[in-house]
Amino acid sequence: MTLAVLLVVLALVVSALPIGAQGALPPKPDKLTMAVVAGGETKGLKAILPTWEKEKGVKVELVEFPYPQLYEKLVTTFQANAATYDLLIADDPWMPKFGAEGWLTPLDQEFGYKRDADIYPVVYDLGTWPPPRGPVPPGEKSKAAHLYAITLVGNVEFFMYRKDLVSEPKTWDDVIANAKKVHNPQTPMFGMVLRGAKGNPVISEFTPVLLSFGGKIFDDNWKVVLNSKESVAALKFFAKDLKQYAPPGVENYDAAERAREVATGRAAQGFIWPAEITDIVENPSVSKVVGKLGYTLAPKGPGNMNGPLIGNWLLAIPKSAKNKRWAYEFILWATSAAVQKPYALGGGIPFRKSVLLDADMNKKFAFFKAMAASLDAPAQWRPRTQEWNAVETILGTHVNAALAGIETPEDAIAKAATEIEKNMREKGYYK
Amino acid sequence: MTRGIGHAPIPRCHMTTAATLRRITPYLLVGFPIVILFVLVAYPMLYNVNLSLHNTRGEFVGLHNFARVFDDPTFGAALQATAIYVVLAVGTELLLGLALALYIHRTIANATVRALVYVLLIVPMVTPPVVAGVIARLMYTPNYGIINSILRGLGLIHKDILWLSTGPTAMFSVLSVDIWQWTPFVFLVCFAGLQAVPQDVVEASKVDGAGGWNLFRLIEFPYLKSLLLLLVIFRFTDTFRVFDHVLVLTAGGPGAATEFISVYLYRVAFKFFDLGYAAAIGFYVVIVTSVLFSRLSRWLATEGVM
Repeated sequence: MTLAVLLVVLALVVSALPIGAQGALPPKPDKLTMAVVAGGETKGLKAILPTWEKEKGVKVELVEFPYPQLYEKLVTTFQANAATYDLLIADDPWMPKFGAEGWLTPLDQEFGYKRDADIYPVVYDLGTWPPPRGPVPPGEKSKAAHLYAITLVGNVEFFMYRKDLVSEPKTWDDVIANAKKVHNPQTPMFGMVLRGAKGNPVISEFTPVLLSFGGKIFDDNWKVVLNSKESVAALKFFAKDLKQYAPPGVENYDAAERAREVATGRAAQGFIWPAEITDIVENPSVSKVVGKLGYTLAPKGPGNMNGPLIGNWLLAIPKSAKNKRWAYEFILWATSAAVQKPYALGGGIPFRKSVLLDADMNKKFAFFKAMAASLDAPAQWRPRTQEWNAVETILGTHVNAALAGIETPEDAIAKAATEIEKNMREKGYYK
Repeated sequence: MTRGIGHAPIPRCHMTTAATLRRITPYLLVGFPIVILFVLVAYPMLYNVNLSLHNTRGEFVGLHNFARVFDDPTFGAALQATAIYVVLAVGTELLLGLALALYIHRTIANATVRALVYVLLIVPMVTPPVVAGVIARLMYTPNYGIINSILRGLGLIHKDILWLSTGPTAMFSVLSVDIWQWTPFVFLVCFAGLQAVPQDVVEASKVDGAGGWNLFRLIEFPYLKSLLLLLVIFRFTDTFRVFDHVLVLTAGGPGAATEFISVYLYRVAFKFFDLGYAAAIGFYVVIVTSVLFSRLSRWLATEGVM
């Protein structure tokens, strides 16, 4: 009888352990090689690596690439099935491509990863393929959903404003009213700053506006519904109403230029991503406006919705990795609640509720509350299709053209819709 | 049976080896370059053919990718932008480089000064195009860019010119980088050519009353003609595939105003990952350049250059 009870208890204990935690870890590898994006996004990661190396005795080598090159490097590495990297961080819009191609290791299936209530559901949704909600690309519907990646950088786009000059804007009307109040190019003080460079930059900026106006790129069957009066109104507002309060030349502004305008006290309002806050606008060594900025949800538009855009950087293990088990150990460690605080204090962008809502942390990082609200809104993701890069490039070219005044908003939306539809047809989205 | 002195028998095996070696040597000599050519040219070309006949899902689609070009306004716009860029860049570089070479050749005789000029003019050529693009981006930026500052300082403008924000000024900006980098190359080649012009002929023509223009047209130009035509080929090839500094400076923008064929090809291949279509576009590029090259070569042949 005693033996039977012992066996039952043992069975229960074993079944409660994640699959990956069963048995001892394999021998320590010399190092784990990790492909990462170059820039502020890895500041927190770099801060916690010495602790990991001290605790576990395994070195982590970071191979850094600029944003556009990282995607190309990863895709070509996967296509060659090369075991170059044990770990990677990927921008969340890349997940559909990586998931559909089967290039990543399913963390739940292979290691028994268990979900944690301290992590926002949208974070798990991002790392899951096929997507657990919204339209699913053709050919992917029959696949079983697995978790392939977990957020490391809890990036989400929200809105910033000079709280010493204007009040918190809740809607785009508030933004325009604020802009009118402070705009004076002679000072110079610009009412609004935009990140308008062609491609990913301008689309990161325009998407929250499009969503807040009720515009969409696709319907639930991947039909292109971009060419609507809501989308045209959103682009008119973006390229004319907002631009009139922006510094000259915003058609070529990327994140660095935008943050510079704010940090030098020349712009009163604009979108912002967390990495720009810790790195530049709230960094006393480079910013004149430390403590003068307020952060809030992306403003509501006529569509009566906020459109905070999510852009998490996800930790994942390539299918062809050499040291998968140790890579998984690193993911568990880096994303644990215990490590997220030192990670945030080291300049990282956390994603756990307990850290974002922590009173002490909010005293240090004024934007954590806005981040938590944006993630909980929930934050909007880019359409989950392997074609997102192509869609973003097409739309990003025409929105940039409208911002530069080369195309009218009507033309830009119509051309983008036609080209996106043509691309989706080529890629087998329509019969 | 006698054997003459001096006719020592050659062992059969030696004869066979020597004969075999003689027989296979031509094949070895030809075979090695053929293998190199196959690996570096033929295989990639055949791989490209295979790619161009398939869609992104790996399905065979025949000539569909080639037909897509005719229904792709972006490709047409890219071709047009490339043509404008090539004509303006090559034309300006040739004129400026030649003018500079003539000026230095005729006015500066001091060897040290000439050496200094060479060194100064080599600097742009050894600057990586990406670095040139980054520097130009800073120079053309409104607000703090040096170009607008100089123009404001000179009182030529009162409002910043948004160099990278309109089609024509963005085209001018990318062109300016190319012209800055490669006019020195034209200069160096023309300057070397001018050294071959016999000084006695020049002196004699001056005595006969030839002015600067006639001196160039009747005496110096015939010596430079072949070099200028070769320069056209070199610069045409380079400007047709221009990429690095354009991507850094304008990324093909605003809109698609400076999206040249190479930038568009990159976008289709590495943003859309539509490798079949990119391969087909690559073939069109090969066809266009081949046709232009064959015409240019024929022209050069009739001019006695090639």
